Amino acid sequence: MSERRAVVSVEALSKQFQGGIGRRAKRALRDVTFSVREGEIFGFVGPNGAGKTTTLKILMGLIRADAGRATVLGHDVRETEFRRHVGFLPEAPYFYDYLTGREVLEFYARVCGVERARRRERVETLLEWVGLSHAGDARLRTYSKGMLQRVGIAQALVHDPQVVFLDEPMSGLDPIGRKEIRDLVVRLHAEGKTVFMNTHILSDVEMLCHRVAIIVQGEIRYEGDPHAMLEGEVRDTDVVLTGVAPALIESLDASVQGGLRGVGDRIELRVPHKAVGDLLGKALAAGAEVVSVSPRRATLESLFLTAVEQGGRQ
Amino acid sequence: MSGIERILAIAGNTVREAIRHRVLYTLVFFALALIGTGVLLASLSYVERERILQDVGFAAIRVFAVAIAIFVGIHLVHREVDRRTIFTILSKPIARSEFLLGKYFGLLVTLWLQIAVMGAGFVVISMLAGAPLEVAHAAALGLVAAEVAVVVSVALLFSAFTTPMLASLFTAGLWLIGHLSRDLRALGAQSESDVVRRATEAVYRVLPDLSAFDLTVHAARGLEIAASDVVMPLAYAFGYATLVLFAATWIFERRDFR
Ligand SMILES: Nc1ncnc2c1ncn2[C@@H]1O[C@H](COP(=O)(O)OP(=O)(O)OP(=O)(O)O)[C@@H](O)[C@H]1O
Ligand SMILES: [Mg+2]
Repeated sequence: MSERRAVVSVEALSKQFQGGIGRRAKRALRDVTFSVREGEIFGFVGPNGAGKTTTLKILMGLIRADAGRATVLGHDVRETEFRRHVGFLPEAPYFYDYLTGREVLEFYARVCGVERARRRERVETLLEWVGLSHAGDARLRTYSKGMLQRVGIAQALVHDPQVVFLDEPMSGLDPIGRKEIRDLVVRLHAEGKTVFMNTHILSDVEMLCHRVAIIVQGEIRYEGDPHAMLEGEVRDTDVVLTGVAPALIESLDASVQGGLRGVGDRIELRVPHKAVGDLLGKALAAGAEVVSVSPRRATLESLFLTAVEQGGRQ
Repeated sequence: MSGIERILAIAGNTVREAIRHRVLYTLVFFALALIGTGVLLASLSYVERERILQDVGFAAIRVFAVAIAIFVGIHLVHREVDRRTIFTILSKPIARSEFLLGKYFGLLVTLWLQIAVMGAGFVVISMLAGAPLEVAHAAALGLVAAEVAVVVSVALLFSAFTTPMLASLFTAGLWLIGHLSRDLRALGAQSESDVVRRATEAVYRVLPDLSAFDLTVHAARGLEIAASDVVMPLAYAFGYATLVLFAATWIFERRDFR
């Protein structure tokens, strides 16, 4: 199972945006290489402006790379025919607003070559899936942002593709909407589809993704298992104390990184993992009571920030 | 086979968009009103009343058809890029050329419907005014439809690489020159200089020759129309539009949609 077929393969992609007359060209991607395996949920993670959307647009054949090679399902991304197996949800999608939800999905189904006999049924199924059955006959002009995002997902799935590319699928959705999208992604995975997801929401990555690539300033910083990044290392520990005398607070204030937070005689502090024993000894000796001690594992967020910082420094 | 189905899907949707936008109805209404003012103008004259009526009518139809062709044509693709509706479409199994052709035929059918409506208005007013209606009128109307096919292709070509503003200027400019290009060639041919003669000839070949599409004079004066007067311009329109669409596709396929 481990060496599955690469569904998406990106090799040494580079892209520069011409800046127009008198403006500097902007280098959006530099030597980007990664691959996505069959059947996995892949997270393409990076801060704003990192190059996620640019990469995705190259994969969708919307823009051309200056150098490098990208294939999806073994086909060069500049071909069109293989796209019958590919679904795409763009960032903040927008559709013909003079059409109704039903009409727009039927239109996409037709463009995708779904046979007339099957179109109706497919559209109804999708409206149901994304929870828009009740609004199917309203013009998209009257849809909310979250409803448009759902239409976006439905149109990406209208031809039952093998690979689905989602650019920030949870953006603009309320917590319930996000949960529904997560469930949908899990469901697509269960059906054996490969899901490629652009995002900067790390909790979604931790919950959903089997593998990630982290991109910062147009360069890949990490590719692999997001959980492997997290294991092991306990760096800091949060300690909560009560009944702390003012004198103790003063003596601790100097030694604790990041300072103290507290109300009255209750304080919370964060210390390096190695210093916990020392701290607790001091606190107990001064008559304080220990409320909780919780070791903090590195979170994806902290690793992510580290990766970003390294990018900034080099 | 499925390529045609995809072109039809895009074209059908383009027509549907036009039908659901009220602006175009307004324009057609104005054109009809203008055709109607021909009655007013004609009543001011004692001679050739029917001719004035029909001249004004045809001018109204041509100008409105071409104006709509230009202003809708230049926005046709630009709006899709601007509103990002193009992302979801071009990421589907559809060739960029199919998308472009779909947009082209969709607009063309829309324009032809509008010309038909305006033509019907023309017929009604002519009948009310007792002006003669002949085959020549139908032929003249048919050539307006062909002219519009050329204009839309040119609008698409320009809008494939410039802003709508510039594209509309270029297209309108080319349309004007297109109606003068025959005169320009005639003028150049009289020149002493060999270079000037060759240059004007070359320019004539590249620019559309649109005066051939103007049978208004024939129609309004009841002149005889030969089959070649209709067939040649139709063939020319087909050839010219095809070449221009090839060029537009060539550019469109190399574009980034960002
Ligand atoms: N059309 C464009 N012209 C010039 N520069 C562009 C263009 N599109 C993107 N860029 C630049 O390319 C870089 C990558 O942009 P991209 O949209 O791929 O980022 P992203 O990772 O998707 O960010 P976000 O999380 O904000 O969506 C950015 O620095 C951006 O300024
Ligand atoms: Mg983006």
